[in-house]
Amino acid sequence: MNPTKHRSWRLAATALALLVATACTSASHSDVPPTAKPTDAPAPTAQPGVLRVLAGSELQDMAPVLEEAQKATGVTVQFAWTGSLDGADAVSSGRADGKYDAVWFPSNQYLRLDDAGKAKLLSETPVMVSPVAVGVRSSVLNDLGWADGSKVTWAQIGDAASAGKLSYGMADPSRSNSGFSTLVAVASAFSGAGAALTEADVQKASPSLKKFFTGQKLTSGSSGWLAQAYTRAESGKVGALVNYESVLLSLNKSLAPDQQLTVVRPVDGVVSADYPLSLLTSASQRERESFQRLTAYLLKEDVQKRISELTLRRPVTPGATAAPTLPSDRRRELPFPGSRAVADGLLASYQNELRRPSRTVYVLDTSGSMEGARLNSLKAALGRLTGTDDTRGVSRFRDREEVTLISFASKVKWAKTHAVPASGGQPGPAAELASINADVQSLAAEGGTALYDSLEEAYRVIDRQQKAAGDDRFTSIVLMTDGESNEGATDGDFKKFHDGLPAGPKSIPVFPIKFGEAAVSQLQGIADLTGGKLFDGTASLDGVFEEIRGYQ
Amino acid sequence: MRRALGVLAALVLLGGVTYALIPDSGPGPTKLVTVTGLIGSEKRAFFENQQVKDELAKQGLEVRADSTGSWTMSDKAKQQTDLDFAFPASAAPVKEIQHIWGLQDSPLVPFYSPLVIVTHAPVARVLQENNLATLDDSDHGVWTFKMDAYLAALKSGRKWQDLVGAAAHPELSGTIFVTTTDPQSSSSGAMYIALLSYILNNRQVVSDQAGIDATKDVLHTATALQGGQKSSSDEPFKDFGAGVGNPLVFAYESQVAQLALSGTSTGDMVVMYPDTTIYSDHTVVARSANGQKLASLLQDDEELRRLEARFGFRPQADPSAFAKAVQGKKPDFAPDLTAAKVKQPQVPAQDYLLKLVAAAKGNAQ
Repeated sequence: MNPTKHRSWRLAATALALLVATACTSASHSDVPPTAKPTDAPAPTAQPGVLRVLAGSELQDMAPVLEEAQKATGVTVQFAWTGSLDGADAVSSGRADGKYDAVWFPSNQYLRLDDAGKAKLLSETPVMVSPVAVGVRSSVLNDLGWADGSKVTWAQIGDAASAGKLSYGMADPSRSNSGFSTLVAVASAFSGAGAALTEADVQKASPSLKKFFTGQKLTSGSSGWLAQAYTRAESGKVGALVNYESVLLSLNKSLAPDQQLTVVRPVDGVVSADYPLSLLTSASQRERESFQRLTAYLLKEDVQKRISELTLRRPVTPGATAAPTLPSDRRRELPFPGSRAVADGLLASYQNELRRPSRTVYVLDTSGSMEGARLNSLKAALGRLTGTDDTRGVSRFRDREEVTLISFASKVKWAKTHAVPASGGQPGPAAELASINADVQSLAAEGGTALYDSLEEAYRVIDRQQKAAGDDRFTSIVLMTDGESNEGATDGDFKKFHDGLPAGPKSIPVFPIKFGEAAVSQLQGIADLTGGKLFDGTASLDGVFEEIRGYQ
Repeated sequence: MRRALGVLAALVLLGGVTYALIPDSGPGPTKLVTVTGLIGSEKRAFFENQQVKDELAKQGLEVRADSTGSWTMSDKAKQQTDLDFAFPASAAPVKEIQHIWGLQDSPLVPFYSPLVIVTHAPVARVLQENNLATLDDSDHGVWTFKMDAYLAALKSGRKWQDLVGAAAHPELSGTIFVTTTDPQSSSSGAMYIALLSYILNNRQVVSDQAGIDATKDVLHTATALQGGQKSSSDEPFKDFGAGVGNPLVFAYESQVAQLALSGTSTGDMVVMYPDTTIYSDHTVVARSANGQKLASLLQDDEELRRLEARFGFRPQADPSAFAKAVQGKKPDFAPDLTAAKVKQPQVPAQDYLLKLVAAAKGNAQ
């Protein structure tokens, strides 16, 4: 039996189990009196179903509500997780057709800017609301004299950031709706745009935006890792987090007293997410009915109250009570850009001009076992990052980025560094990107695997580069291997090495990629020790290299 | 069994004998016939209501409907082959749907609802103080939104912070504009364009290129200011209810009335009637005999008419039903649109409306 077949059997068995479970629930619930008012739509339980939903990972916190919804409606929700903007790509390109019945992201605003994407959505139902806000560490709030934070403007936040008094973490706007919403909000506020942003507004705001982003010390492809990185960062290094109000308030539940965040919704305006549960045009009739049942349930007044209390998002059903911790004073809603050109232009400016540049080091296993298909897929995956066709700056090496490739086997074979220049000069970024690709294509497989030795060498390379340039960059290491370290330093040696590092280099995250027969425990150990994150490249090396761009 | 009936009904329909197999609504257990269709999102709660379902079931029908933007309904009508009816929120997409389905009869309009502007009470008072709105004390406290003054504000890019009394409300800043749905996908957004074009064209329905040329710049401004627009009327209204979004939202009167009539607190929500506004004519395009039956029931069945009014719609065949339903409810509604002096322009012909929408979206031809 081949592996694919095996898996589909297991899936079928799971589906069957769910069906049985649902059927039992329906039976036992038929005699339970409904809690809803008689005017509410009934929640029929006769037709059990499964709704497959491509969703933003923030929605994991809805699990308890969806369990209750399953009991009440017989609809089981199965999630697949992705970032908002990547999800929009999946819908627009048709990759979601037939695979999912619905999508559920914090916002469909970006998706809707694309005509192809817009046509894929049959109906959209906002379920709850949360504005993007700035969570400021209480001590920092005091130092800045911002009292309880209820009167702070974006201009004040920008000034504090450019004066070095406010450092913050923010998710990558090319991937995450919270990051993108922040970018829209600050660009609107700094340009003084009275309404939706235009290209001219973005131009006008550029100098202030650049200053604002000098304060960004953490970047992340996901809001989960961002919160983790904030918790890890030594006190004083990161004073604030930009994220949804709901995420910040929920995070407070697990933060130490000195790390507590005061949620600042700037008075000059916010961008809010309204979490539209959206049915895909490709869904079949049975799933459409499941969708209708589920949304009707989620919008019920009592369910809305429950959602608000559980997730700290705001209810959308009028009359439903919001969680008591949510302040009720109103904020101006800053409009989202009305065209893809403005949105993508803003993202490309962020990546290539506005943000602090990155120093990115790749430690690449080119041992003998990489020979053949493995090396080819590595070359292809890294080569893709040197392409110039990338409208919103989602994957390619950015202007002003410093990229080092280290090829290793029994020892480091070579290390080559490329500085991608800014656009506008001669030669432009294209020539340097081509040169990176040439190095990538020259990788050759031979020798053993001295993993820890080579990783230590990466730290030394970074140290030399930082000393020479005296600069301040987002710095990270990617470690790709298809095997186990079998030469040179051991994991114990590396731990000692890492413990001995000064605070700066010690905080550099390592993002190991598991490939082939890589030793997961070694790689997970490295991720844990350095505050990085382990990625699995077994299924698609392309996808993983691209995903990691959000962390670099 | 159900499917067999459907097939029979289809065969009979093809033969031209349409009434033979439609279940009679006489006593005894009635076999339900499922009627499948597309509805605008604003009618979803109506069709999901148990009393509506019961009354339809009494007449032998069970309605199965997907909600979608009225304006894109013709696309979906093209994609889906199993539909009995389409029920958009305006007459505008009707011709196109009829064309796709090869129909010619004039469709029924069981009920209608004027388009209004929803805001918060303090904002309405700021508008009143600045001559952009009036409150009629003699007539149930009905608010009127002054369209000429609003268009003047749009043209000059007037800002909230320039208005007397706005300083007390920090959320009132930026350019004054009304938020609508995307006119390319949703009927209420398109009706806004129709309304503005009428006023901008010296209160004449746009029916030539000169009318488009005369109105396109302001239409583009009114749209561009909004930035990203949502695709159905449900969304901006939900956002408003959740306390986010622009303080001025273009909505169906029925959306607010439905809330008020269900006993839901609408907080400080206020309905302002533009002194000139479009009525949304909820039109049933029936493709099958069962679709036709649904349309007739919605128009003529007294119980359904009562329920329509309770869901905030104004039944065409019973002008007093709405007034009766909203009496004493908050926010205040105009019981009689004529008495409230609300003028109603015609909607431009479909091809001109499409051109106006394209111009508004910055794609003028």
